[in-house]
Amino acid sequence: MFFYILWNFLKGYVVIRVDGLSLEKFINITVSRGIYLWGIKRQSYTSLTAKISISGFRQLRGISRKVRCRVRIVDKRGLPFIMHRYRKRKMLTAGIFIFLLIIYGLSFFVWSVEVEGTEKVDPQEILFKLESLGVKPGAFKPHIDSMLLENQLIVSFPELSWASLEIRGSRAVLRVKEAVLPPEVIDKDTPCNIVAAKDGIIEKMIVLDGQPAVKPGQTVRKGQLLVSGVIEHPDTIGVRYVHSMGQVLARTWYQETVHMSLKEPYRQRTGRKSEIKYLGWKRFKIPYRKEEIDFSNFEMEIRQDGFIYTEIYYEVEEIQWSKNIAKLKAKLEETALAKVRKSMPPGAKIIDKKLKYDMIDNVKASAVISIEALEDIAVQQIIDTL
Amino acid sequence: MSRKRLEKMKSAVSDIFELPKEIMLNLPKISMIGNNQMLVENHKGVIEYTPQRIRVNSSIGVIRIQGSEMNLKNIAADDIMIIGEIKIIEFI
Repeated sequence: MFFYILWNFLKGYVVIRVDGLSLEKFINITVSRGIYLWGIKRQSYTSLTAKISISGFRQLRGISRKVRCRVRIVDKRGLPFIMHRYRKRKMLTAGIFIFLLIIYGLSFFVWSVEVEGTEKVDPQEILFKLESLGVKPGAFKPHIDSMLLENQLIVSFPELSWASLEIRGSRAVLRVKEAVLPPEVIDKDTPCNIVAAKDGIIEKMIVLDGQPAVKPGQTVRKGQLLVSGVIEHPDTIGVRYVHSMGQVLARTWYQETVHMSLKEPYRQRTGRKSEIKYLGWKRFKIPYRKEEIDFSNFEMEIRQDGFIYTEIYYEVEEIQWSKNIAKLKAKLEETALAKVRKSMPPGAKIIDKKLKYDMIDNVKASAVISIEALEDIAVQQIIDTL
Repeated sequence: MSRKRLEKMKSAVSDIFELPKEIMLNLPKISMIGNNQMLVENHKGVIEYTPQRIRVNSSIGVIRIQGSEMNLKNIAADDIMIIGEIKIIEFI
């Protein structure tokens, strides 16, 4: 019955009021002609209201004449009447179609890209790679060749053993499995020496194979032989070539100088902030939530989350560097350390650091950082036996 | 064969073959939900309809329903659904 009523809503129905003396007769004749009536309510002795379909209503004329009652329409309900009401509003119809078209059109694009299953690899890196391969928010879905992309990804990331790009609706989900990398293969047949990669003082030597040529505590220069792969036996006067292996931990030194201008005062955030939110894409942005900015000194940060841009304004306090020496020192150390880190191998461990800083007339500052590090300076070098 | 014997036989046959009796014997089928909804199938028209009293014709006579605030929820060629507070049902 529910579907019948729904069907009637789609087809349209009318609420009628019947006035007459023999209303029971009216109901009986209507029903016997196969016209469906529902929601019948007796209003008074001579009148009732009922609901009837449009086609049924058209057939009522003969019946009402026969039983001598008057039928009037009280209300018109259903889709055809609603549509009739809006028949002159062409732009509304056009709008509905444009809306549907836009929704349909937008379903052709990727709206968000996600990476699942990463453990060691930074998902951001994969996202960058995907972006350069064409998978990014706003990418046209039919242009994405999942199979090709998966292969390209696996080739460019040796850490990945498997990747699957799946486009679920408007989301592109990349699922990856990281490979367990095999240890670096050392060709044990090739005889080699170990030489120093840089200057330093030997701290500790772990020689797995070969003849040590230096002792801990000794100062070595770059390129100096540390472990020899040529072993001479004084008894047999034979010479044996081995593939020397080992770790040579040495103390090394690094020094960097940094300069900083003190004209720009130090800016410290006070903790107060205001946000302006935008909705849009690239240059087309509409602000939808604005917070009043009631301070003059601020730093701005832009965050993007899909189509929502947030501009965060932080209130800052300007402090002269000369008034805050501790901050200046920390800042100098931070920049100097960052600079030094670039020239150091990733495995190096800082065991000591010294910072010397100078201020010239409150406009310039310079700092010299000296780092003492502990690192493996062993480098294998193939021996020419010929 | 008299009419009474025919009816008896029809009843027996529908009992044996488990056929619905209302079709075999052309009887009204009345089903109720509590005292506020009543469905009469296989009726033969409405004789009287007021919110306090409804009389429905059927093959076994008139069914008189008394109650208050009764309405005909829907009505088709062979069924009527009555909603409202039903108090008395009589077969006259």
